[in-house]
Amino acid sequence: MSRTRRSRSLANRWLGVGLASILAVMTLTLAATGRLGLYLNPDSTWFAVGMAVLVLVGTLLTFALPLGAEDDHGHDHDHDDEPRRRRPVGATVAAVGGVAASVLVLTALVTPPASLSAELAMSRDIDAPPLFAGADAVALATTGDTAEFGVGEWATVFATSTNPDAYDGDPVTLTGFATPGEGSFELTRLVITHCVIDAQPASIPVQAGETPPETGEWVTITGVVRASADGRLSIVAESMERIDEPGDPYEY
Amino acid sequence: MTRTETPAVAARPRTGRAIVWLVTGAAVIVALFAINALAPSLYSVPLPTRVQDGLTLALSVLIESLPFIVLGVVLSIVVQVWVPPGVLERWMPRRAWARRAVLSLLGMVVPVCECGNVPFARGLLMRGFTVSETLTFLIAAPIVNPIVIITTHQAFGFDDGILIARLLGGYAIANLIGWLYSRHPDPDALLTDRFKATCDVVVHEPGGRGRRSIAQFAVELRAVLPALVIGSALAGAVQVLVPRDALLAIGSDPALSIIAMMALAMVVSICSNVDAFFALSFASTFTPGSIVAFLLVGPLVDVKMLALMRTTFTTRVLGGLVVVVVLSAFAIGTAVNLLV
Repeated sequence: MSRTRRSRSLANRWLGVGLASILAVMTLTLAATGRLGLYLNPDSTWFAVGMAVLVLVGTLLTFALPLGAEDDHGHDHDHDDEPRRRRPVGATVAAVGGVAASVLVLTALVTPPASLSAELAMSRDIDAPPLFAGADAVALATTGDTAEFGVGEWATVFATSTNPDAYDGDPVTLTGFATPGEGSFELTRLVITHCVIDAQPASIPVQAGETPPETGEWVTITGVVRASADGRLSIVAESMERIDEPGDPYEY
Repeated sequence: MTRTETPAVAARPRTGRAIVWLVTGAAVIVALFAINALAPSLYSVPLPTRVQDGLTLALSVLIESLPFIVLGVVLSIVVQVWVPPGVLERWMPRRAWARRAVLSLLGMVVPVCECGNVPFARGLLMRGFTVSETLTFLIAAPIVNPIVIITTHQAFGFDDGILIARLLGGYAIANLIGWLYSRHPDPDALLTDRFKATCDVVVHEPGGRGRRSIAQFAVELRAVLPALVIGSALAGAVQVLVPRDALLAIGSDPALSIIAMMALAMVVSICSNVDAFFALSFASTFTPGSIVAFLLVGPLVDVKMLALMRTTFTTRVLGGLVVVVVLSAFAIGTAVNLLV
């Protein structure tokens, strides 16, 4: 095999099974360390892990396939002189794309996983509460059991409740990060349906006696829900603890 | 050395070499795990917020769509290598329009979302399905499939005809595109040179089914993976660079809202299985027609899908697809706004 053909075959393997196996390794490591939730709804974990294992098995088997074998027609002639060579512009674009894809995947491999920033959450706020798969506001409002409610559920209730007095006095303990808004600050959390690309912010107004936390700072607040005279709901914080970002920063 | 001895003697070193390579492969994979486990702890300088958010978003799309891509590649190998010639074809109607009508329902039984459809569609093309038939499948399948129907129903029920308009609209657009491209005088010209070269290679791949399957695994991942990475990077970058409130400031205008939601759909690249829940949060401020347009455009021609389809179809074809899909979605969205 000529040198050019050999390096082209090697590049093809790298851009195919190479990139795929890096992503598979990352998926498996994230799943094993319980951090896959930083990118995906945990409901999809089994599927992502299963397919990642399949990628690694497939990649391993391609090592047994001689380099360039997949480019073979099964008859011998040197491909270097074939007229299939692409136009220079197309070849350059493909090369730049290949390098860019490699850089991105390698960067992801060596940098620690991260959650989305508070700035992004604020830029996505469209003043509409996120709605959960299958759990509409009516269902939320009729169960009356608010003990398991996160910021997302409360944001939906605050925005849609027709009977705010029903919640007046409900005790809450909630964790989220601070964003500016109504009240002393708004307690915000990103809510994910399937993966982080569909993350939407959910916010609830908090009245706090002490100095409000800075934007982006994580806090756990304990307090009660209060309905104002005009029917607006907010949370009156009785205590507020500043905390590090939790391992599971999203709600699903 | 006699002729009869040659294969046995030659096979032994070949098997030995394969084992050496398999061990090398295992070592490479173990090394990747080690790098992934150790390197991040050495990396103490945080990336700028926007870059980090873009990377997180791009990676989220990648990690989310990789399993579907792999499933699509596996199905592509099944149709190309394992299903005997004539088995699929026997079930297909003879008339071209009827074949396309049936193919646009194939998504009901093939459990992959839009990213996985691309390698599967490449498998269909390699098997001998025409370009227009494959395009019909590719455009219909992300919408006319059971998971999308269930999630769209969960999100919207039958309110405002959104579910019906999405399903019938997707089916109609797919068949319209199939019909348009079936009239092309030279269908081969619609395919990229690279795909034609790959077809040539795969169809003539030597060896048994096992070897051909592994070869096609390598070939298909090579074709779609860089495109998927670039598409995801674009989706991540656009999300941190284009301010979303600029798009959404025009929510309630019947015509502008449709345009805004179509632009949003092309930018956000959300999987069609779940885009209905995303769209639901816009339902209070945006017109029903614009929601339908979002649900039609997103699965068919968002930036990630365009990058993936570019592996197989020429830029000109992609331009044509975008025009037809956007105009059709606009028409259907306007009709919904007028009717409900």
